[in-house]
Amino acid sequence: MTGGVESGSDHVAPSDIDTLAAILRRATDSSSVVQVVGGGTRQGYGSPPPPDIVLEMGAMADIETWDPDDLTVTVGAGMPVAELEATLATRSQTAVLPEVPGASTVGGVIAAGVSSLRRGRLLGTRERVLETTLVTGDGRIVRGGGRVVKNVTGYDLPRLVVGAFGSLGVIATVCLKLWSTPPASATVEIDDLEAATKVTRPLAVLEENMAKRVFLWGTREEVAATSARLGGAITEGHQWPPDPGGPFRWSLRVPPALTSAAIALLPPDWRYLAIHRVGEVRAASEDAAEAAGIRVWAEENGGSLVVVDAPPGGLVGLDPWGAPPAGLGIQRRLIAQFDPGRIINPGRLPGGI
Amino acid sequence: MTLIDELRLLLGVDRVLDAAVELYLYSRDASLMRGEATCVVFPETTDEVSTVVRIAEAHRVPIVARGAGTGLTAGASPTEGGIVLVTTAMNQIEIDPDNRTAWVGSGVINLDLTRAAEPYGLHFAPDPSSQSACTIGGNVANNSGGAHCLAEGATTSHVLGLEVVVAGGEVLLLGGKAPDRPGLDLKGLIVGSEGTLGVVTRALVRLLPLETDVRTLLLDFDHLSGATKTVSDVIASGLVPAALEIMDQKMTIAVENWLHAGLPTAAAAVLLAEVVGDPEAVEAEAALIDRIGRENGAGTIQIARDEAHRDTLWKGRKSAFGAVAQVAPDYYLHDTVVPRSRLVETMEEIQAIADRYQLDVYNVFHAGDGNLHPLMAFDASQPGMMERVHQAGEEMVAACLRRGGALSGEHGIGLEKRDMMRAGFTELDLDAQARLKEVFDPAATFNPAKVLPQGSRCFDFGGTRREIPDGAWI
Repeated sequence: MTGGVESGSDHVAPSDIDTLAAILRRATDSSSVVQVVGGGTRQGYGSPPPPDIVLEMGAMADIETWDPDDLTVTVGAGMPVAELEATLATRSQTAVLPEVPGASTVGGVIAAGVSSLRRGRLLGTRERVLETTLVTGDGRIVRGGGRVVKNVTGYDLPRLVVGAFGSLGVIATVCLKLWSTPPASATVEIDDLEAATKVTRPLAVLEENMAKRVFLWGTREEVAATSARLGGAITEGHQWPPDPGGPFRWSLRVPPALTSAAIALLPPDWRYLAIHRVGEVRAASEDAAEAAGIRVWAEENGGSLVVVDAPPGGLVGLDPWGAPPAGLGIQRRLIAQFDPGRIINPGRLPGGI
Repeated sequence: MTLIDELRLLLGVDRVLDAAVELYLYSRDASLMRGEATCVVFPETTDEVSTVVRIAEAHRVPIVARGAGTGLTAGASPTEGGIVLVTTAMNQIEIDPDNRTAWVGSGVINLDLTRAAEPYGLHFAPDPSSQSACTIGGNVANNSGGAHCLAEGATTSHVLGLEVVVAGGEVLLLGGKAPDRPGLDLKGLIVGSEGTLGVVTRALVRLLPLETDVRTLLLDFDHLSGATKTVSDVIASGLVPAALEIMDQKMTIAVENWLHAGLPTAAAAVLLAEVVGDPEAVEAEAALIDRIGRENGAGTIQIARDEAHRDTLWKGRKSAFGAVAQVAPDYYLHDTVVPRSRLVETMEEIQAIADRYQLDVYNVFHAGDGNLHPLMAFDASQPGMMERVHQAGEEMVAACLRRGGALSGEHGIGLEKRDMMRAGFTELDLDAQARLKEVFDPAATFNPAKVLPQGSRCFDFGGTRREIPDGAWI
């Protein structure tokens, strides 16, 4: 896989924000390319050049503040998602981050703009980041947003940081909006997606190659009643599926009503995990032969097919992102204000930025 | 050609106003801060907006976009002169029931969108108290919230795409119905930017299914802490109700005198809670709130008997600010946020500040997310009164910031809180924000002098920004 951590480079692992700032300032002065690494799980996006410096965030992983009453938590970006969620679960809370995170970190999930499978009901990662403290390429420490669940104070920098792959700065700390976990949960297998419409707002409706499942949560009374109404095999609790694995990994994004059509278009040997009512299909394949056709269809319908990972040389002419997004000039100029030497994760974004 | 001539050539005589009385009508929003525009224009299409932007740039005058003018922070007051661009003629609604989205003109009134969506079993979740007047464009500009945004998120969580006219009259189509459009989320940056980055002409919004059932409860307490503890315990139990609103006694009395809704005027605090969902869900959840309320000393608990009763309970909440009009001729209301765990002590300090300035303060707030709206009612004709009100207001906001709060929860910064931004952010933070503004709007055409205090840009590397002298346009 191209997705990996370069070994022939200098590795640094700052444990505080001032050291991080000094590293980035020096990197800008010497025009050194910096690869930022959290858990190292999502290094396959875009087409970055080999880095001079590998910046590991694992030493900036503290919980800074967490008062369960406030429904917010502030953590160092290097905090592993699994560890954070396990801690929050002790007080029946969740940050609604990806359910099967592997080694991924909070900062990595935010930088890559990856969301929870529960996003149809609880919204995506972009809706959950309340405050970010960044270190820009030229070493400025910049905070945006606030540590309260709701605020309109200046431009929404935290939202811009989600999915920006570090191009506005390395994320040092983030404040996330939490959600209370209700007492009961269940998973119901269904044969026909039509059945899922019997529940107004399920937590998730997921489809994989061999299974369609509705995920429910709520009070005991609600979960008992709604799961019975769905009429399939009921399992208590949630067993969340991992993203499909393979040499090529894809993120297919279409308008929600086209989710089933997108699945129907996938070649039979592609593995997939689709989030109905959202329009996100995570897929994996052995080759990229049919990807161009799928991308054409997705883009014609207002969507995209994004390469999440691919083996070296495997894409043969296929752009990692597809058609460039609107406002590319503005995006470049924004990034130039935060990373003037373009040293942090260059080449990760659409348009080769 | 003069500015007015050029605009009239584009829009016709009727859609360009410049008579003194007309300019006066558009000289402010619902705040007390007035400006003076050169003219007021009513474009109907995105192309027209684009041309207006180019004309404004050629004449070097600012543009202040305005919907219904219900904003409370002077965000839509033309304090730097120039063109007031009224969006109300851009009022198309195009609903896509399959994808549960709608493309909506920025001049569409919030409640009209929900009414248009209802036949499809859908609604637009953000519901500011001004929803029967405020526009979607204004909601986008201020990232408006409302009572129901605790569970569903504020406007930004419901905007999937935007059509926006930026510098040079360029029309950008950002986002879309598919999730996670690759690249930077420029749409998300424009939401909440208070018209300072461009003019939004259309928004693609998410619509949610109408809830099949609802339970609305009104609980009264003889101490505020009973109400706030109930809110905390309800959320800790794993339930995030659709709304959790608290009114203090003064506000309850004012509302009851006006509305006669049967509100418990003897109580120190009243909690309005609402749960929505499938019938089984709301039944159990209402029972849970009832039990937790009693554990925390709730006196009487009313559960809405029917839709009419529910409307009455909500009307009390939503017309709270109107009710104050019968108490005193003027009011001033702040919008701040504190971490929920600090609600009680913050409220006590707000009361102490009001006492110190001998002002009446009324409270009604979104308790679930710690969003306070302390409201001072007064008679502005009394000498020195406005100074007292402003001074007390600033102290109240400072009290919230000291507790880790934010300057604004849902009303925005505008001009009112612009100079308080320094209390919440460092010079480098504000410099970063000023850079965002410069990238979008190098000529400072869009709603200049709002949101960011003068001199926010602390390092100037010879960018293209012109320094705009105060009052240059008027």
